[in-house]
Amino acid sequence: MYRPQFEAALRLLARVSEAMVSRGLRRPVLVGGAAAEFYSGSAISTGDFDLCTPAQQTLEDEMQKAGFVRPAGAGRSLRGWVHPELALGFEVVADFPMDGNIDRSTLLLVENLVPDGAFVVVSVEDLIADRVGQWHSGSAPDRLAQARQLLDLHGNLDTGYLERRIREETMGEHGIETVRATSG
Amino acid sequence: MSTVSKLSAPHPAEWSGRRVDFTDFTTRLAARRAEIGAVEVPRNSGKRRTASKRALLAEIEKLGGEW
Repeated sequence: MYRPQFEAALRLLARVSEAMVSRGLRRPVLVGGAAAEFYSGSAISTGDFDLCTPAQQTLEDEMQKAGFVRPAGAGRSLRGWVHPELALGFEVVADFPMDGNIDRSTLLLVENLVPDGAFVVVSVEDLIADRVGQWHSGSAPDRLAQARQLLDLHGNLDTGYLERRIREETMGEHGIETVRATSG
Repeated sequence: MSTVSKLSAPHPAEWSGRRVDFTDFTTRLAARRAEIGAVEVPRNSGKRRTASKRALLAEIEKLGGEW
């Protein structure tokens, strides 16, 4: 279902996540476009992996052990890491997903992609709300269509939580109906 | 609460949130995709990318990454 390079990146994320657990720390949380690719089965494709963790230094230490490097000659603006063999990139973008506005109990633990390994991804409800919020801001008109596709693909959503989160991300102006009214 | 305890994680078996088996998830998702037909979504325009993100994607491209 997934692009081979995307699934390879998920495996790497699971390995690095387990390394964090073995150090007594929480796994990083996958957010953004890569989370959208995960929930869409690669119908939505991304350029790299955005991760959230309050333990950035430790995560980056583990990423280096897994083969990630900071690109040579990288300018100050580059905060991400690349894996030369797999030609993919990870970047820590925040301590917590969506400024900490999410309900942590909705995070999804994805198990058994690799033996004894799991990774954590932001909930599909929060991802949809995030897409609607970006659309509402006016800077990303394509995001509402993504939200609609994610809504169509996942029928077992917590609609109460989704409604609340869309309202929060759009200053109360929109809810689930806005997404449903959009042609997917 | 100390920093250590704030960041401490339970063993994966103690995870109290949602959890799913990867294969089960992809099987259900594939079935749903087949049910609703072709899923066509525009790729992100990239207009909102930060300077860091643009630099990272450029480096991945240099490595031959097809993202």
